Amino acid sequence: MKTSKPTLLLALAAAALVTLSVMKPVILRAETSSTQWSVQVTKVDSGAVNLEPSFQVAIYESLLDELNKTKHFKQVLRDGDREANGIADLLILKTTVERYSAGSETKRAVTTVAGATKLTVRSQLCTRGGKIVLERTINGNVRFMGSNLRAPHNLAHNVAKAIKQSSLPEPASAVAQRDAEVVVVEVR
Amino acid sequence: MNSIKTIKTRTKSQKLLCTAAFLILLTGTISAAFAKDGTAAANSQVSIRATHLLGFEKAKDNSTGTLTIAGDALEFQKIGKPVSQVRIESIQDISVGDQSKQVGGLPMTLGKAAVPFGGGRAVSLFAHKKYDTVTLEYQDAQGGVHGAIFQLNKGQGETLRDDLLAKGARVTNGDNTKQSAAEVSSENK
Repeated sequence: MKTSKPTLLLALAAAALVTLSVMKPVILRAETSSTQWSVQVTKVDSGAVNLEPSFQVAIYESLLDELNKTKHFKQVLRDGDREANGIADLLILKTTVERYSAGSETKRAVTTVAGATKLTVRSQLCTRGGKIVLERTINGNVRFMGSNLRAPHNLAHNVAKAIKQSSLPEPASAVAQRDAEVVVVEVR
Repeated sequence: MNSIKTIKTRTKSQKLLCTAAFLILLTGTISAAFAKDGTAAANSQVSIRATHLLGFEKAKDNSTGTLTIAGDALEFQKIGKPVSQVRIESIQDISVGDQSKQVGGLPMTLGKAAVPFGGGRAVSLFAHKKYDTVTLEYQDAQGGVHGAIFQLNKGQGETLRDDLLAKGARVTNGDNTKQSAAEVSSENK
């Protein structure tokens, strides 16, 4: 029995649609569970490293930017923001600089191989109680082209990417809500 | 004779009066002028051409404009765009650094890449300029910490910092010395 090409294509399209409709609720559930967290970004701790203030500020501001872009969190708050006091499901992002090499834009332009600006930080996502939910050591470098302040931007991008790719635990309020739903089902 | 004498004394007294009046007028004018200068100094606007690198309230990144201290506010305005400003009192920390940057941007980079036999690298040796960077930390109405970085011509960073400190900005770390990017090359392992 022969099947014509259009029929085959139609069958494929229908299969794809069915797969998507089955997958969509799963994706949505995953998104809603993660978006219920809010995050507060604290100021960058330079630790024992002699980091320029401009780099500290650049990392902090870039982190806020990049985390907002991911849309992974309900709210992205700044250090000291009083609004954070009223948020139940809040994670705190702490950033500590571990290594820093200043580099030089001119050296990079002249030699290509030398003068890289390198930054390594330890990022921790903690709950209000101090429990560490996620911990990563992340790099941000400028090796060939661009100004030195590109390194904090790259670093923040990598931090946001690492957080997005990790699976965060469900916030307490989401767990409570799910339990309540289960009770309702049982009563019925 | 008596009448002539009285006329002479009158003219003398009139001259004295005239001189006194002139002196009073002169003093008044000078003091008024000085007072005007004083108020002008108090309300003076310090304007510096600067590039906003990142972080300042509602200003676009990497935009060049004018940084102005107007009254109790620090304003940044790109030509043809609305003014973005913060209160100077809300500034928690100011630090001045310097950095060396390649000039010419992307067109220059492409041009250098097009020069044969690596000639562009030689151009890079001379095509850089030193700038001052001013880093500000300030708080918004909600208490949230903001950071902003401006790039200024060499030597203007210190001036801006001093002006801001005079207007009520604070320095938390107490380190008023300029930090050079070249000095900071520590790599703690």
